[in-house]
Amino acid sequence: MSPSSQTRHDESGRDIALAGEYVLGVLPFAERRAAEDRMLSDSDFAALVAHWQADFAELNPSYAPEPVPARLARVIEARLFGDAPSRTPGLWGSLVFWRGLSVAAIVAAVGLAGLSSGLFPSGTGGPAAPLVAQLSGPDSPIGLIATLDPGSDTLNFVPAAFVPDGEKSLELWLVPSDGSAAISMGLVPPDGGAVKIDKRLVSQLDDGALLAVSLEPPGGSPTGVATGPVLVSGKLLAK
Amino acid sequence: MAMANTDTNDDYNMLLSRVALGDRKAFSQLYKSTSPKLFGVCLRILRDRAQAEDALQEIYVKIWRRAGGFATDRASPMAWLVTIARNHSIDVVRARRPATVDIDEEFSLADPGPNPESHALNRSDGRQIENCLGELEADRAQAVVAAYVEGSSYHELAEKYAVPLNTMRTWLRRSLLKLKECMER
Repeated sequence: MSPSSQTRHDESGRDIALAGEYVLGVLPFAERRAAEDRMLSDSDFAALVAHWQADFAELNPSYAPEPVPARLARVIEARLFGDAPSRTPGLWGSLVFWRGLSVAAIVAAVGLAGLSSGLFPSGTGGPAAPLVAQLSGPDSPIGLIATLDPGSDTLNFVPAAFVPDGEKSLELWLVPSDGSAAISMGLVPPDGGAVKIDKRLVSQLDDGALLAVSLEPPGGSPTGVATGPVLVSGKLLAK
Repeated sequence: MAMANTDTNDDYNMLLSRVALGDRKAFSQLYKSTSPKLFGVCLRILRDRAQAEDALQEIYVKIWRRAGGFATDRASPMAWLVTIARNHSIDVVRARRPATVDIDEEFSLADPGPNPESHALNRSDGRQIENCLGELEADRAQAVVAAYVEGSSYHELAEKYAVPLNTMRTWLRRSLLKLKECMER
């Protein structure tokens, strides 16, 4: 073995050991934080950590379940959902950050465009408020504005930012306001545009329903539930 | 990886996907079925009931907020949940007793390390780590398990095995490399 490959060998062993130490949890606080910082910038190191995590997960049966005091469930739910109406999905609360000036301005424009192009339900005899959702997420490469056009059963998307790579599809999900299971509404065109929705789903697109977009294999989730990370989500609100 | 119970995994996958989409009923179901296990993790590592209760709260707040980052094709859902619980509990313990000791950074691989070319993973028969732990000396295998399951620090391990801190770290790192080498064999 040449000296340089010996060095690489040592370095690779060092990283394997460090990743293992991180997963075991033996590192002091500062080194622990440093390892986490490195996972963010060094994908090889992050992969070593993921491998150790999968390996050591075999020891998880060593943890015996313990009865949890009943009040804890109420404390947690109050913390997460305490100040919102009970039917509203609580994810909204963590998305406050994106209700910033610039997004508000975009939505105002979309809302006006929606009104001027006649976003009214057919056959109800009067104008209804168009429903608009702003979809965004922390550290997400995409941002989308969705507008429901009840007259033509379509959701119109205005992409705020998206870099399509062809390797993944964006799948749209509806979480009804009654809290029932999420329903796939199809794929979001990578360049924005309209998504035609099933007539039966239109009635569930009401004020308080949540729209979310997850990253899926090309063509969408093979299982009917979201398999990839949820990139953005937003609640439909009457404007 | 071999899964003990595929039905349960599918259930948890489904629940986590719904939690990621902001579904509170799914969150409540997930909490009911997984919180005793995660509370077991907190108690084992924190060894203090009040701290374990606080930790469990923080852990489920994290689960609610991070469920969107869980990708079902990459990890088992229960392993993901246990990782969040372990990481949080260990953070609390390490913050509680900050190590001020300077651990010697020198790390020489006197033992033959893993072959960098052998990246192929073969874990199809499951329970690999336990087989490979069996190839280590008994006390070193015990130290690895205590570190993982109890969240022991280098300090605690060095005390328990009555060796200097640096010796303990060298032991543990070499044990990790032997384990990796065994699992990739």
